[in-house]
Amino acid sequence: MEGIIGIWQRDVKKFFRDRARLFGSFTMPILFLLIFGGGMSGTMENLIGGGMEGETDFQYVQFVFPGIVAMTLLMTSVFSSLSIIEDKDFGYMKEILVSPVSRVNIAIGKMLGASTVAFLQGIMMFLLIPFLGISYDITSLLQVLPFMFLLACALSSVGLLIASFLKSTQGFQLIVQLLVMPMVFLSGALFPVSNMPSWMDIIVKINPVTYGVDVMKKVMIDVESLTPAVREAMGLNLSIFGRSITVFEEVLFMLGFTTILVLLATLSFRRSNA
Amino acid sequence: MNNIIEVSQLNKHYKDTHAVKDVNFEVKQGEIFGFLGPNGAGKSTTINMICTMLAPSSGSIDINGFNVTKQKNKVRESIGIIFQENTLDEKLTAGENLMLHCKFYKVPKEKREARIQEVLEIVDLVDNKSKKVETFSGGMKRRLEIARGLLHYPKVLFLDEPTVGLDPQTRAHIWEYILRLKRKEGITMFLTTHYLDEAEISDRIAIMDHGEIITINSPAQLKQSLGGDIIELSTKDNDQALQEINENISEADVTIQDDTIQMKVANSDDFISDFIKQLDVPITRLNIRKPTLNDVFLAFTGRTIQHEEN
Ligand SMILES: Nc1ncnc2c1ncn2[C@@H]1O[C@H](COP(=O)(O)OP(=O)(O)O)[C@@H](O)[C@H]1O
Ligand SMILES: [Mg+2]
Repeated sequence: MEGIIGIWQRDVKKFFRDRARLFGSFTMPILFLLIFGGGMSGTMENLIGGGMEGETDFQYVQFVFPGIVAMTLLMTSVFSSLSIIEDKDFGYMKEILVSPVSRVNIAIGKMLGASTVAFLQGIMMFLLIPFLGISYDITSLLQVLPFMFLLACALSSVGLLIASFLKSTQGFQLIVQLLVMPMVFLSGALFPVSNMPSWMDIIVKINPVTYGVDVMKKVMIDVESLTPAVREAMGLNLSIFGRSITVFEEVLFMLGFTTILVLLATLSFRRSNA
Repeated sequence: MNNIIEVSQLNKHYKDTHAVKDVNFEVKQGEIFGFLGPNGAGKSTTINMICTMLAPSSGSIDINGFNVTKQKNKVRESIGIIFQENTLDEKLTAGENLMLHCKFYKVPKEKREARIQEVLEIVDLVDNKSKKVETFSGGMKRRLEIARGLLHYPKVLFLDEPTVGLDPQTRAHIWEYILRLKRKEGITMFLTTHYLDEAEISDRIAIMDHGEIITINSPAQLKQSLGGDIIELSTKDNDQALQEINENISEADVTIQDDTIQMKVANSDDFISDFIKQLDVPITRLNIRKPTLNDVFLAFTGRTIQHEEN
């Protein structure tokens, strides 16, 4: 237990000391927010809500904000896992691996470190809400926090697993770049993914971002007050095998996903001799 | 005395290197055991296998009664290690590095501050506790690593080339600390080095070359085993001198290294006066000394260890 805390604390502490990284990881989500939330919101509203009759109260910014927060979680989670490779590079991983801390606790500690960092950055995105002309009530913002953390855990475990296998940061950057964009685009974060070809739909359905974003939207947007048409337009009817999926099931998926990947990373630490 | 480390028939194959070959040895409780060998001899590979960081290809290792492959965690609790390369977190302070180590090794909470103070005193770093490690010199980092290795009171402390890359003065300091430790804590130490003078502090030395242990003995006995004294000389014409020596002086064991002729003789006092009379070539330099570990290494391998350095 203390091993987990030690490893976790170290990564969080270092995050607060590294100002450059702190602000660097904001640039991409803010850029997306400017493009999708500002410049393109009119176009997107027409595209997505275009099929609806008469005046609608479909607001793209409202749709996309939880998605952008999820994207921030994704970017930061995965890039924070880079610390594992840096630890290998700078030798600190040896200090960890030669200690009696169990391998599973090493994996959990590293995963939680990256998740916490991502979670904090996700929360910082809330500071932008007043500038976007949208509003959320405080309770829904508080309610969404545990789901954000859970999504961060699922995403950090992806980074953890990749990093546990790799020795160089370059290889990691490459894999991450190949992974992050599809995970964003095939998740419903930026636009609904209800009518995808079936092979893409499979990716959508195993992508943890899909479930994270969906839960976040369900919590942050007052779904009941929307007309069915708007609900449909926002892609809020996520279903598997024709059945609507519940928040509980989505949480279970993210928990299971995290557990499996953390265990795989544990095996990789057990084999490795960094 | 009890054996704290027992290694038998240890082998390590890398893809195309047989890095450790049928290695057997024991380390006794409380002794300083030294591994001496040139770069690439297999010292780090052996130490990494003993420390659970590398799986042996075959053979068995026991530490403190625990098997290294089957009881990894028990072994890990029993050892402290200073790796050949730096493994500190340079972005953290010295104190933070030590506190993390306490957590990894479950040092009881109420004892942590006192232990940290204690080990910092041993290596004279108390005043640098709250400085970031990246501001430390190479020697300070090494000392901090030694301090960290001691925090959990390990049964054995491993030091893999603890002074490599340091200037001679800092090297001397590090050894002072290590000897201080030995006197104060009576801790068992396993160290590797390719500096001959440093191997001298060991109670016993294993000489390693090309993955094999060539001999194990105390430094004194290793040197004694060569017998007698060593005479080194340079002359105006070494080839001529060599020829004269070979013709006239049968009892000398002669080799030539660079521009120095070296002779091993049973007793230099009796030998030297006759020798000087017999040699016609003028002598430019003459030195008589007792054998060093370098001579031991040369005798066993036919090479000097320094030649391996880049
Ligand atoms: N990870 C590795 N993969 C392949 N060969 C290695 C590896 N590590 C060491 N070696 C080789 O094994 C031999 C012993 O190396 P090492 O144990 O580091 O020697 P030393 O510590 O005595 O300098 C060398 O020939 C080295 O090139
Ligand atoms: Mg080495």
